[in-house]
Amino acid sequence: MTDSLSIQNVTYKRGMKTILHDANLTLAPGKIVGLLGENGAGKTTLMRLITGSAKGAGDITVNGDAAEADRKRHVSFSEQLRGFAGNTKLTRIVDFYETVYGDFEAERFTELATFLQIDTSLKLAALSKGMKEKLVIALTLARRTNLYLLDEPFSGIDSMSRKKIINSIIQWKPENATMVISDHYVSEIAPILDEIVIVKDQTIYAHRQADEVREEFHIGIEAYYESLYERGNDND
Amino acid sequence: MHFDDKIPIYYQIKNHIYHEIITGTLQPGEKLPSVRQLAVDVTANVNTVQRALSEMIAAGIIESKRGRGNFVTMETTKITDLKTQLVTTQLAHVYQQLHALNLSDEEILTSVQHYIERKGQAK
Repeated sequence: MTDSLSIQNVTYKRGMKTILHDANLTLAPGKIVGLLGENGAGKTTLMRLITGSAKGAGDITVNGDAAEADRKRHVSFSEQLRGFAGNTKLTRIVDFYETVYGDFEAERFTELATFLQIDTSLKLAALSKGMKEKLVIALTLARRTNLYLLDEPFSGIDSMSRKKIINSIIQWKPENATMVISDHYVSEIAPILDEIVIVKDQTIYAHRQADEVREEFHIGIEAYYESLYERGNDND
Repeated sequence: MHFDDKIPIYYQIKNHIYHEIITGTLQPGEKLPSVRQLAVDVTANVNTVQRALSEMIAAGIIESKRGRGNFVTMETTKITDLKTQLVTTQLAHVYQQLHALNLSDEEILTSVQHYIERKGQAK
């Protein structure tokens, strides 16, 4: 089966500063992958490189396609809705998504919105942080595509919302689609991860099966992740 | 379901379902929920649940019927064997711990008996 994602020798610089260098990563279809790393490690940059909104050196394919337009079509990225004014009604945002993305399924969105208890008659500015994140998740998962990228979906939201979001991921991720979830705090999502990818020292530092880590080291994912960071930063 | 993150998740799911079979929450011949439903129920990944199921199928405790789903085995001897196996594992663990405290087999027996008696009195 075609890999969901392939990243080969990717390097990205901003001005003189190297953000990522020689990054290599291959993800099979149908996985939930935790993308872990400190704040500023390059997790968001990596996601922007995958979608094509950041351009670096090296090769990236999504579902076997390298062209930027094809990659964008295969990827559903959790946009933070910054392009919409605060007084925009949620129904208008949903209409926008339906117009722009051919794979956006209104019915899926309605199911997700019901499950996550999103009131679509509200305006964007009226949403709490947790509710806004739920909306982002519903919009992202309502597209039926090959690769989902969720950028820190749990930062600063309450535990009930977090549980709801985790459940919606389990229920609505299409079987053969792969999902990458970035986070700097892993323990709550650890049980739903197939694999973990750790960004450190401006590169993909480790890529492991979650249960393999538990079996081999008898430690939790959080402890494993912390142990890698405690070894120090090679490039400092 | 609350997981211990130090132990492989597939293993914990397997034990959870074995527990339900031994205690009769899941009866012989009973149909299991779909893989995705099980994943939602225990809050784990579909692939991890599938791995747990595959091991239970290989062990003969769960039977997979094409197009119909997964069922608890009707062979109650297999369930009895499973129970014996799990009890043995638990006992082996306790035995090792007590043995490490330099207790002889007789002392272990006495202390277990003593423990059970006192536990009864506490009620």
